[in-house]
Amino acid sequence: MKRINNPLTLVLLVAVVIGLAVVSNLLSGPADEAEEPDVAAEIAPCPVFTVGPLEVTTTIINTWAMMLLLGAGAYVAGRNLKLHPGPIQNLLEWIIEAIEKLIREMVGVEDTTIFLPVVGTLAFFIGVANLIGLIPGLRCPTPDINTPLALALVVFFSVPYFGIRTRGVWRYLKHYVEPIFLMLPIEIASEIARTFSLTFRLFGNILGEEIIISILFIVMPLFVPVPMMLFSIFTGLLQAYIFALLTCVYIGGAVKAHK
Amino acid sequence: MDWNNLPWDKIFIVLTVLISGPGVIVGIVVPAIGQMIVATSGLKAIARQPEAGDRINSIVLLSLAMLESLAIYVLAVVLILIFANPMIKYIVNLE
Repeated sequence: MKRINNPLTLVLLVAVVIGLAVVSNLLSGPADEAEEPDVAAEIAPCPVFTVGPLEVTTTIINTWAMMLLLGAGAYVAGRNLKLHPGPIQNLLEWIIEAIEKLIREMVGVEDTTIFLPVVGTLAFFIGVANLIGLIPGLRCPTPDINTPLALALVVFFSVPYFGIRTRGVWRYLKHYVEPIFLMLPIEIASEIARTFSLTFRLFGNILGEEIIISILFIVMPLFVPVPMMLFSIFTGLLQAYIFALLTCVYIGGAVKAHK
Repeated sequence: MDWNNLPWDKIFIVLTVLISGPGVIVGIVVPAIGQMIVATSGLKAIARQPEAGDRINSIVLLSLAMLESLAIYVLAVVLILIFANPMIKYIVNLE
């Protein structure tokens, strides 16, 4: 990708996409003004336009804005890497080293190169997705059930991928029946249950936060939701950490050799 | 008792809210007791063998995350029942 020499084009591009997301959020609320504030209509995702048989909802536009924000931020942060880093590079190196320490501890490998993209992307994606609701006009994509389901399916498919890549097909399939043959239905059921629990943990946390903030908006719009929004920063980042931690544990279960 | 003319829609809403209260209480107390047991065992194990502290710390944190999510499931179900109940348009006719 060629260098964008003028950083102003990047800022303009990000601002345009975030502006589009804000406009689409505001335009696609409940159709008519309700007499009393309706919590259910505020929370549900609304379609903005339709491409063939698929509906494009506000969740998808918010996710595009967030992806562009992350991509532009990563491009800008990775341009002039110095040996004595400045503050932004220092912060990002600290975060990436923390994720690498997590992978090394849970998966048990020394070389984290093949695991770091998946785990790091999940951590950054969920962290920024939970925080982006604080920008006025944007909403979190995570309370829509589809986003946590998609992320949990990514984990569900990446666990056998890493297991087969590290240990080979036959040894990976053998670990399902490893202690005793009766473990096979238990292992299959636990794989499916793990996917559902990852989905509903993330979905329930962020949806609960949003419903409580909506109700506090009904009470008094300017001051009362603020402590709850501060708390939702903490739980949003905590949920991202827990998702990454559980992904590392599940990948470690597939990759580690049984003793 | 006039079983045909009772206001069933209002009874449905009142029953939902009445059940949600004790539901939340039980759904928070039981994971809290579970987390208490995990934390107690973790502290006792670290006190017994301090050099295994890092390993025990990560296992305790993982268990606390799993138990926390059970309380969040209960909270999400109760919040959806009270505020965003999808059955309500079938039972309450005048809305």
